[in-house]
Amino acid sequence: MTRTEILNELKKVFAPYTSNKEMLAGINDQTDLIKDLKINSANLVDIIIDAEAKYDIEIDYDSADKIINVGTCIDVILDKLNQVK
Amino acid sequence: MISAGNDIISLDAIDITRTKQPRFYSKILSSTEKNLYDQAEFTTIPFENFVWLLWSIKESAYKYLKRIDPNLVFIPVKFIVTHLHVPAGYISKKFGSTQIENKGFEGMIAFKGLVTIGDNTLYSRSLMYRELIVSTVNRDEDFGKTCWGIKLVDKPDPQYQSEIASTFLVERLQRILHLDNLVINKNPAGVPLLFKEHEELPIPVSLSHHDHFVGYSFQLCN
Repeated sequence: MTRTEILNELKKVFAPYTSNKEMLAGINDQTDLIKDLKINSANLVDIIIDAEAKYDIEIDYDSADKIINVGTCIDVILDKLNQVK
Repeated sequence: MISAGNDIISLDAIDITRTKQPRFYSKILSSTEKNLYDQAEFTTIPFENFVWLLWSIKESAYKYLKRIDPNLVFIPVKFIVTHLHVPAGYISKKFGSTQIENKGFEGMIAFKGLVTIGDNTLYSRSLMYRELIVSTVNRDEDFGKTCWGIKLVDKPDPQYQSEIASTFLVERLQRILHLDNLVINKNPAGVPLLFKEHEELPIPVSLSHHDHFVGYSFQLCN
């Protein structure tokens, strides 16, 4: 699975938690989940749970703290997918 | 260094079913905190409210400490609520207002707690209504110099809420300090700072918004 494929799938994961649809359509590695997408911090756990379910992975606390922007989110998912293999 | 930290949770916006799922709440609560809920005094509090009450205390503590350590990362389970007490006379009731502002919690039915992360220990005070939970933290057990406010807003748009919350806070500060031209700007770490024109004032402030509610807290120096 490529970074681009995961990025496109993450748009669907983030969609319920952001009203900034224009920014969502153009996300890149540097897009900050809270500052740019205006995702409320109370929804960050929802996003982690949704990503876990989508990719059948478990995101532990130490990995979760790296999820600040789209790029680090993709890094964590790829890292966990590689561990499953 | 004094700081300020608050958080607000709209209980109408939370997913109750998901909150009750172990895979969800285990990312917020530590095992000792799950045991805290089993204490007799929490029997009148729905579990989902308990989870979000602890979240609000932890997020308040994170905001308080982020001002001091800009590199701090919010991992809820690493903020441990070691003590939490349901106030005598607590019953679930409606917010019943469009806004509340106060200094301290004297005479209010407030949850008292203690939260630790690493070497830091902070005291907390929380109010729980049917529609919302609001928390604030302080290094000192005396909240007499902690000013706070809660406001019901008509739109849940984050940008709109952010502006309303800043205006709500600035208006209170201008009344108390008898100053005008106060503005709130965020530093690169996202921490709100109070300025009069271009001069930063030594009053730590904290802002929060969720769904139809916004809130603030700030700590007076003297």
